[in-house]
Amino acid sequence: MRDASFGAAYWAGRIAPHLVIFAALITLWEVAVAQGWITSIMIPRPSKIGVAIANLYVIKGTIWEHFFITLGEAVFGFLIGAAVAILLALFSSLSERFERYVSPYAVVLNVTPGIALTPLIIAWFGYGMGSKIALAAVICFFPIFVNTLTGLRQMDPDREELFRSLGATERQVFFKARVPAALPLMFAGMKIGLTTALIGAVVAEFAQATAGVGVLMARASFALDMAGSLAALLSMTLMGLLLFYGMELLDDRVVFWRREARMSAVSRAKARAWMARRGQRDEKKNMGGETT
Amino acid sequence: MALAADMAPDAARLKWRRRGNHAAIFLGLLALWQGGSSAGLLDPLFFPAPLDILASFWRIYVSQGNVWYHLYVSLSLVLAGFTAGSILGVGLGAVVGMNATVRRFLQPYVIVLEATPRIAVAPLLIAALGFGPQSKIAIIMLVCFFAPFINTLSGVINVNRDRMELMRSLGASKMQMLRKLVLPDAIPVIMAGERLAMTSALSGVLVAEFIQRDQGIGALILTYTRNLNMASAFACILTLTAIGFLIFKGMEMVDHHVAYWKNETGMKRMTEKRARVWAGRRGGVAHA
Repeated sequence: MRDASFGAAYWAGRIAPHLVIFAALITLWEVAVAQGWITSIMIPRPSKIGVAIANLYVIKGTIWEHFFITLGEAVFGFLIGAAVAILLALFSSLSERFERYVSPYAVVLNVTPGIALTPLIIAWFGYGMGSKIALAAVICFFPIFVNTLTGLRQMDPDREELFRSLGATERQVFFKARVPAALPLMFAGMKIGLTTALIGAVVAEFAQATAGVGVLMARASFALDMAGSLAALLSMTLMGLLLFYGMELLDDRVVFWRREARMSAVSRAKARAWMARRGQRDEKKNMGGETT
Repeated sequence: MALAADMAPDAARLKWRRRGNHAAIFLGLLALWQGGSSAGLLDPLFFPAPLDILASFWRIYVSQGNVWYHLYVSLSLVLAGFTAGSILGVGLGAVVGMNATVRRFLQPYVIVLEATPRIAVAPLLIAALGFGPQSKIAIIMLVCFFAPFINTLSGVINVNRDRMELMRSLGASKMQMLRKLVLPDAIPVIMAGERLAMTSALSGVLVAEFIQRDQGIGALILTYTRNLNMASAFACILTLTAIGFLIFKGMEMVDHHVAYWKNETGMKRMTEKRARVWAGRRGGVAHA
C-alpha cells in the first residue's frame, strides 16, 4: 500500500513538469495564433483542433468507421507480408541455394521505393480495401525478411556445439536454439514492418479510396480545414502507438527471457506448474500406496 | 602457397558459374513471362510483356524522351529536401543529445512523432504551403529529418562514458569532446540514419507527386497507370529501382569514406594519407 502511494508520488513528480511544459506550449500557441503572430490558415489554434477532435470522436463520431478500416488494412497487410517474409527467411536459412537464388529479387524489391507501386497496385486490386492491404504487405515485407534471416543466421557456434554434443537432432537445434535466438531480431523487424504497413495503407488511401483515415485527412486538407486534418493526423498517431505497443506487448510475452521482470514471472509460473504436476503425481502415488 | 594458387581459379570459376546460373534463371523467367503474354495467358494489365516494357523504355528515354524532365524535377527535389532535412536532423540531434534535461523533456514528443506515419503529413503540408515545389520540399525535409535526428540522438547518448571521463580529466573543452569523441563515435549510427532518410526521401517525393499530380516521376507513373499503359508504368518503376540501387551504393560508399575506421581498406587509405601528410610536414620543417 505504502509502496503504491510512493510510486504514485514518484510518477506524479516525474510527469508533472512534462504536463506543465505541454500546457505552457499549448497556451503560447493559442495566444500566438489568437494575436495573429501565426496565420491561422497554416497552423490552427489548439482549441480549434480540440473541437475538431471532439467532433470527430464524440459529437459526429465519423472517425470510428474510418479508423477501423485503416487499422484493419494495416494489420491484414502486415500479416500477409510478415507471413511471406518469415517463410522465405526460414527457407533461406535452411538452404543456402534457395537463399542465393531468392535474395537478389528481395534486394531488387527493397531498393524499389514500394510507394512507387501505389498506382499499379490500385489498378490491379481496385479502389477498395484490397489495394491498401496489398501495398501494406509489399512495403512491410523487407524489414521482416532481413531481420528474420539475420537472426536465424547469427547463432552462437558454442551453443550449437553444446546442443550437438548433447545429442540434439537437427530439428531440435533449429527449434530450440536457432529460432529462439532469432526471435528478438525478428520482433524488431516486425515492429518496423507494422509501422511501415500503416504508412502503406495510408498512402494508398491518399491515392485513391472511399474510406479510411487517409481519405478523411485528404478531404479535410483539400477543404482547407486544417484543424480537421490535424485531428485525423493525430488519430493516425494514435493508431501507430496502438500498433507499436501491441507489438511491444507481444514481444514482451514471447521473448520473455530478455526482460528481468518477465523472466522471473515466467520462471515462477513454470515452477508453479511443475510443482503442481509433481504434487499431483505424488498424490497419485500416495493414493496408490494407500490402496495397496 | 601452391594450394592457394590452385584454389583461387576454382573459386573464381564457381563464382562465374553461379552468375551464369543466375542469369539463366532470370532469362528463363523472362522468356516464360514473354511466352505467357504472347500466348495470352497473362493479363497485360497485371504483367505487361517484357518486350513491351523494353519498348516503353526506348520510348520514354529516347524516341519520346519525356522521362528526363520528370526525373530531373523529382531528383532535384529529393536532393534539396534531403540536404536540408538531414542537416537539420543531425544538427538538432547533436545539440539535443548533449543536454540531458532537454532530452528528457523532448522524449515524449519524439515518441509521438515516431508513431505518426510521417508521409501522412503530406496533404496537410500541401494545404498549408500551397501547390508548388515548396510544399514538396517541405514534405521531403520532414520525412528526411527524423531518421538522422533519432539516430544522432541515440548515437550521442550512447557515447562511451569512460572515454568521456578520460577526455574531461585531460581538460578537453565541450567543443573538443563533441568534435573528437562524440561525433566520431556516433558517425556509424548517424550514417545509418542518413541512409534511411535517403530512401524515405524517394518515397516522400513520390507521395507528394501522387497528391499534387502536376509533374515529376510520381505524376508520370500515375498518368501511365490511369491510362492503363502498364508497360510504361513498369519502365518508370524499374527506373526508380535503378535509382534506388544507385542511392544505396552511393550511400554505402559515402559511409565507407566517412566512417573509414570501420573497414580495412578505408583504414589503410587514411593511415597512408596521414603518414604522407606527416612526412611532408616533417620534411618541410627539416628544410627550414
